[in-house]
Amino acid sequence: MIVLGLETSCDETAAAVVRLNTDEGADGRGEILSNRILSQIEMHRPFGGIVPEVAARAHLECVDAIVQGAMDDAGLGYDQLDAVAATGGPGLIGGVIVGVMMAKAIARARSIPFIAVNHLEGHALTARLTQGVEFPYLLLLVSGGHSQLLAVRGVGDYVRLGTTIDDAVGEAFDKTAKMLGLGYPGGPPIEAAAKLGNAKRFALPRPLKGKPGCHFSFSGLKAAVKRALDALPPGDLQPQDINDMAASFQAAVAEVIGDRTRRAIHLFRDLCPQGRSLVVAGGVAANTALRDTLQAVAAAEGLTLAAPPLALCTDNGAMIAWAGIERLRLGLTDGLDFAPRPRWPLDPDAPKATGAGIKA
Amino acid sequence: MKTTSTNPVLTLLALDSATTGCAVCVWQDGRVLAVERETMARGQAQELMPMVDRVLAAAGVSPSDLSAVAVTRGPGAFTGLRIALAAARGFALALAVPCVGVTTLEVVAHGVPASMRDGRTLLVCVESKREDLYVQVFSPALEPLSEPLACDDAALVGLFETGERVLLVGDAAARAVEILRRAGMDAVLSDASPLPDPAIIAELAAVLLNRGQSPGDFAAPEPLYLRPPDAKLPKAEGRLRG
Repeated sequence: MIVLGLETSCDETAAAVVRLNTDEGADGRGEILSNRILSQIEMHRPFGGIVPEVAARAHLECVDAIVQGAMDDAGLGYDQLDAVAATGGPGLIGGVIVGVMMAKAIARARSIPFIAVNHLEGHALTARLTQGVEFPYLLLLVSGGHSQLLAVRGVGDYVRLGTTIDDAVGEAFDKTAKMLGLGYPGGPPIEAAAKLGNAKRFALPRPLKGKPGCHFSFSGLKAAVKRALDALPPGDLQPQDINDMAASFQAAVAEVIGDRTRRAIHLFRDLCPQGRSLVVAGGVAANTALRDTLQAVAAAEGLTLAAPPLALCTDNGAMIAWAGIERLRLGLTDGLDFAPRPRWPLDPDAPKATGAGIKA
Repeated sequence: MKTTSTNPVLTLLALDSATTGCAVCVWQDGRVLAVERETMARGQAQELMPMVDRVLAAAGVSPSDLSAVAVTRGPGAFTGLRIALAAARGFALALAVPCVGVTTLEVVAHGVPASMRDGRTLLVCVESKREDLYVQVFSPALEPLSEPLACDDAALVGLFETGERVLLVGDAAARAVEILRRAGMDAVLSDASPLPDPAIIAELAAVLLNRGQSPGDFAAPEPLYLRPPDAKLPKAEGRLRG
């Protein structure tokens, strides 16, 4: 079973071809035959964040070359595909539309199924592509757009245990980095600066730590960073100030996520007593301090931490192709009338988190 | 099927979702085999491909019969023009056939019958949903007299001589005709189709295809936006202090 996957929901134009060996005795993991990614980050950097129209234009400009490149790398013709999958949402709708339309056209041209993949399901199922993790598992999804804890019971079967009630964690990294003049995206430079800083210098809050449930909140942390910086003596920020704030911020984030994840594990146990794994995904999963914290939490709670390779934690086409395979083998394909969805919760039945905005 | 012609059969799929419509046709050697056209301000991402499916079926043509794909590349709604362009480019990639782009302005211009154009300069006006208009000026013989332009009122008036006889067409023509009349032009509205006709998209693409030297001449057509994205550069990239 071979599926082409397209990802255009944010600031990366990506396409990949993934194969599932369906022979008896196969290990159930996928084989990534190609994985092309073109980042638009340099186009958005001067704006300090992603500009939706700039992103949509860039996706259209290069999507043909990325798709063809993925096919060439895989050494396959379009007639050898079993289906075409594309991110159908959630995300920046202008970009989603570009990938969806291209995928629908390829599917119709070759008379193969089209599959609209929920971007979050792409992240959620990646650990099955790379490590063959079995259902059910607890998923921590942490990225620029999302911060969620979900029980993953099967394809299309999610129970949301926690979500952010305001900013996503990746957003907090970006905004903090911006205030420190570290540029965009904020994750990597904050991690680098934090290595040189004193995490105890600034007493930042640990929002929601110790509170019941496992929702997240990051906007107060961001505001506290601003207040602490404003309280410094007048003049330019000194390198040590920047490093200490990066370290203090990162420690606060890791501690909060560790606490919320521990609580989510308890909820997950009640829901899925047979679950054995904690899976982490999304761009923020690349942060080493966070990974160390999660490793410790998982070990203390008797779960195995499964983190896909860093390149598959951030947005990519392979996760969309793989989610396409998972859906295709269950017969879950979509019509050519699929309407791209700017919002698309994995667990549509989850109650609205108190105070939660559109990113919940 | 033509068996007597020395030319091979040219079968085109033509798509448009760039303005306030959604349209598809299958065209073969000058004949429209099947067509659908709808006025549609939004929702083309959902409607376009089922429309393609129905039109292909009505024409009795399968995708592998297509010689090329033709598409409007703008100007128009940014998201709308990307919908048909991405679909057209997807068909072209998967079928390894050329993809030919034409502008909404030239397609709408060619939809005005010669008898109506007689003695009048033709102004095609496409809605931008902003203050300015997307326009292009053509001679009565449809020779372009300007580039495709994004014009505010003053720039629009500046394209013509006072008293010039102008015929307007397009989904923003009603807006533009008032501006020209106030400025003293003899401006009248055409009752030709204000939206791109997919048969004309195919015809213009066929001309380009017959003129082309190799499939390499028809790499993915570029979108024609005529306006940069709305985005402001922050001061000092948003940093709190120097």
